[in-house]
Amino acid sequence: MKKRVVITGLGVVSAVGNSILEFWNSLIEGKDGTKEITAFDPSLYRTKIAAEVSDFYAEDHFSRKEIRRLSRCDQFGIVAFREAWRSARLDRDPIDKEKVGIVLGAGSGGILSVEKYFRDFYQGLKKPSPSLLISYSLATTTDLIAIESGLKGPRTTTATVCSSSSASMGVACEMIQMDLADVMVTGGSDSLCEVSYSGFSSLKLIDPESCKPFDRRRQGLVIGEGAGILILEELEHALKRNAPIRSEFLGYGICADAYHLTAPEPNGEGVERVMRIALNHAGITPEEVDAINAHGTATPFNDIAETRGIKKVFGERAREIPISGIKSMVGHCLGSAGGIEAVATVLTLENGIIPPTIHYEVPDPLCDLNYTPNQSIKRDVQVALSNSFAFGGNNVCLVFGKYDGV
Amino acid sequence: MEFEMRNAECGLRNMRSECPEFRIPNSKFQNSEGHRVVITGLGIVSSIGVGKEEFWKNCLQGNSGIRPIRGFDVSSYRSRLGAQLPEVDFKAFIKPANLRRMDRIGRIVVSAVRLALDDSGIDVKKEDPNRMGMSIGTGLGSSDTVDQFFRSLLKDGPTGAAPLLFQTAVPNAIASHCSIEYGIKGVNLTFSHKETSTEMAMAFAYRLLKEGRADVILAGGGDELSEPLYHVYSMLGALSPGRGKGPEGMRPFDQDRNGVVLGEGSGILVLETLEHAEKRGAKMYAEMSGVGMAGSTDGLLRYDLKGDSIAKAMSVAAKEPSTVDYICAAANSTPDLDRAETLAVKKVFGERTKEISVSSLKSMIGEFDGSGGIRACGVALTLFHGVIPPTIGIEHLDPQCDLNVTLGQPKKKKIRSALLNGCANGGSNISLWFKRC
Repeated sequence: MKKRVVITGLGVVSAVGNSILEFWNSLIEGKDGTKEITAFDPSLYRTKIAAEVSDFYAEDHFSRKEIRRLSRCDQFGIVAFREAWRSARLDRDPIDKEKVGIVLGAGSGGILSVEKYFRDFYQGLKKPSPSLLISYSLATTTDLIAIESGLKGPRTTTATVCSSSSASMGVACEMIQMDLADVMVTGGSDSLCEVSYSGFSSLKLIDPESCKPFDRRRQGLVIGEGAGILILEELEHALKRNAPIRSEFLGYGICADAYHLTAPEPNGEGVERVMRIALNHAGITPEEVDAINAHGTATPFNDIAETRGIKKVFGERAREIPISGIKSMVGHCLGSAGGIEAVATVLTLENGIIPPTIHYEVPDPLCDLNYTPNQSIKRDVQVALSNSFAFGGNNVCLVFGKYDGV
Repeated sequence: MEFEMRNAECGLRNMRSECPEFRIPNSKFQNSEGHRVVITGLGIVSSIGVGKEEFWKNCLQGNSGIRPIRGFDVSSYRSRLGAQLPEVDFKAFIKPANLRRMDRIGRIVVSAVRLALDDSGIDVKKEDPNRMGMSIGTGLGSSDTVDQFFRSLLKDGPTGAAPLLFQTAVPNAIASHCSIEYGIKGVNLTFSHKETSTEMAMAFAYRLLKEGRADVILAGGGDELSEPLYHVYSMLGALSPGRGKGPEGMRPFDQDRNGVVLGEGSGILVLETLEHAEKRGAKMYAEMSGVGMAGSTDGLLRYDLKGDSIAKAMSVAAKEPSTVDYICAAANSTPDLDRAETLAVKKVFGERTKEISVSSLKSMIGEFDGSGGIRACGVALTLFHGVIPPTIGIEHLDPQCDLNVTLGQPKKKKIRSALLNGCANGGSNISLWFKRC
């Protein structure tokens, strides 16, 4: 038998809540985290909104010296990690840290700090502090969390941006099944910065009003930020210490479109394949799937391709499966999108509530599935998928199931 | 197919006893841990040679790729050296229409993939594209493209942000270029974790092949030496001569070592299940047989100071430590890492330490996050030819680094198995174990 992997801890920082409780309440109420940008001056941009994290005060969590050294991305990651670690009761139980590892997904990472450095450097205004450059590596948040909590197991960082933190869970699962670790910290963290904002803006992929996945009026994404951290644990290890088992990680799939650097394969062929690979790996049939957390970026092409891919896998049943596009509320958090959405998927299984896709008003004939419009619904969910797709056709699909106790 | 499924479920060392059907008839292709994995192709784009022949010749002759930096002004730095690539004719490897879409690091890695595929004799068109994958490691990916993008944004505001630059600036663009260029549709993942980026990419590929979830995975990666990267390394005090007294240079294990000289390049391995390789009559360089990983927590810019984690990674990877005859060291001419790695080797091999030959190829190709791919190609060639390349630049071997370092001339030796170490500042340590075929 393959080792079974369960989720025992969750932590989140997002535009709609900086704790699991607040985040989940906002999701099921359909709260929108989109606001005017404050991280930089957006006046010269066509679009001026983002799903920024608010009510986050670094002083509540870190010393003044730490604040100087930690990028915003690091701060989100560490705060979400602490919540996940505590909720898994790993702060209290004696565990062998040699067998606790970490894999996080990165997006733009600490580029906000690096941006600050090079802005001053290139404009020759003043001599910037080299300490801003320690965030130059995408591995910084991963290393900081490992160092803070003394994790001596395997450690790495995945870097496929929009699907990074979903991929990180697949890698973490392999590390547990290879017996390199009993517990893996996984997920991701990312912060809004002008570099990525201007990039998506230059590709005309940002909606000026709100993020409206699967709606005919959709014009693109709203960039978000935050962190979503999950604790993956080998089942026997979790049972032995009587850990709170939130759900089971059943499997994952990763594949490539091999199609285009930014556009998804239009017929959903890559989406279909990645979901099939994931279901196959999990040993789950399409009939058993009860809910899907869509990638749902609200770009015109993604939503059509994803809809087509879902139809190919689920056939007639596709219309029955409730789909959530929570990017309508938390924005597209890039390097942490997969982590935050995996947290939402686990909470969906746990609570039997499907979070809605908000701002959904005008149906698109090309997106004709059940996207759980505007209102959350109660539904017993045994198995749920979470999709993440990235530039270049880097697709990831995760499969979570209710832990059945045997 | 049925055997494959069963094996996938049972392919775990410690679960063997609980899985009676695990013993399968054709044990030549599978061992107790699953499919056997072999290296069947090498693609190298390095400062000491493009293609395995030129690279290997220069490796054995101890020719360094380190020269004064070309292409940007380093007069304001204390350092002036780098191991940069020679002029590479990328048109020889990449279709012209696709070449336009790629930035420099994209071109470097895609060319290495072309070389690796050609070397392996695999015709992608004849393979199932879903059973082929890419697993790439890069520390800083398109650092130059990111910088260009940022500078034009600073200069011209939002209108200066160039969409074409942005789409190639993401770290996964490199693996995407490869998948698009060759139509490779299976697993596609990019790792970025400082100096262990490529080692992790190979470890992940190994695991999937072992489980029978792919037939062939192109694994490895690379990095480019760009001006912003040079600036960052210099500002963080990582470059030789740093605060050191001695001259600037790459001198792993030398008592006067004082920091790294940056390099660049890409190394790609064709990793393949033994079953698939035999079926197509492939040439095999070596077998990949183990992976070990461990984290240290000495500080964000610190290596594993005591060598405990490096030792743990090596001992988990090398399941038959008594057969290890060669170690391709991570030693990068920094005071801390070279000493820690020495401690680690002694911890794992004790009395046998002196019998094990050690070299650091970084002495010739410089240090960079994605160096593991090229160094793994070096290990494959070492096992295949039974010759150990020397470590260059050493004048006075540090008494604290008293390993059996191969100096001066290459050494002929029958090598049963070898370890490749990757050690990152911040504390990620990975060791990969390879056996002679």
